[in-house]
Amino acid sequence: MEFLLENILNLVGFLVGLAIGIMSFIGFRNTGSPTLFRLTIAFFSISLGFFVIWSGYMVEDFVTKSGNIERWIQTLGIAIQTVGYFFIAFSHSIKSFFPKSSYFRSVGIFPLFLVSSVQLEHIFRSVSFILLAYGAIETMLSYFENRNKGAISVSVGLALLALGEFLGWYSFVFPESILYPASMIIKIGGLIALFIPVSKVPLTKIKFDEDFGK
Amino acid sequence: MAEYRTHMKIIGDILATTRDDLQDEDGASVTYLIRKANISHSRISAILKTLVSQGLLEKVDNQGSNKYKISQPGREFLQAYYTFTNFADNFGLSI
Repeated sequence: MEFLLENILNLVGFLVGLAIGIMSFIGFRNTGSPTLFRLTIAFFSISLGFFVIWSGYMVEDFVTKSGNIERWIQTLGIAIQTVGYFFIAFSHSIKSFFPKSSYFRSVGIFPLFLVSSVQLEHIFRSVSFILLAYGAIETMLSYFENRNKGAISVSVGLALLALGEFLGWYSFVFPESILYPASMIIKIGGLIALFIPVSKVPLTKIKFDEDFGK
Repeated sequence: MAEYRTHMKIIGDILATTRDDLQDEDGASVTYLIRKANISHSRISAILKTLVSQGLLEKVDNQGSNKYKISQPGREFLQAYYTFTNFADNFGLSI
């Protein structure tokens, strides 16, 4: 069951990330917008991250048959996804997120020491959680300014991904519990919510301009 | 408080004015565009030069004064601009 969910999650993540990444790239090529360039990097990274983990599961299933995915492949995939989440948060001017007070900055570093004894994977998961939660909050705030309904769906999607990352990170405390499968189902829901408004963008009228920007 | 506009938004406003809000068939004058796009003369001169060199605007010499009209690539760019503005809005971002 867990293996099946992992495969569905990573395939959906790969496809959704790739679709949004391609759309952002077309937008960047047609308008030259730096925002769309950042979104392109973000979603191609997310897509690649999911693909790496999916490949790891495939190699385990068809080649090594060890019963468990290689830990370093999982860590690599999550790290690449974290880069993607960083670029989403960065697009929302992440500088405003970090507290200016040196006291709060030192306190902010403290959790990193708490998790430094566990594997890198858990550090990446916790960083991903923070970045996704920040992106979800900023997107929801933008909804209150623009009243664009698509922003609600994207915000919910990012929030579900954040919750999924949190549960996935927390499940190492209770390894055999329902937490990990639940985190995967929540993340699949988040990816679908992320894709819904993007799928409504009418790309058929856009002519891909090879010469613009030269 | 005045709304912050990105460079892309200013370009979108200028192109939209030359497409939808022309003074006459000859095109829009610089003064008209300054007023409609709410931008300084020095800044709009540089932007208009770029838009003409990219083929998005056509410069028309009309009795000694320059006027600007949107070209076909400009219309396509504006269509793409609106589409991807909507796309970025979904992420709470401005292009």
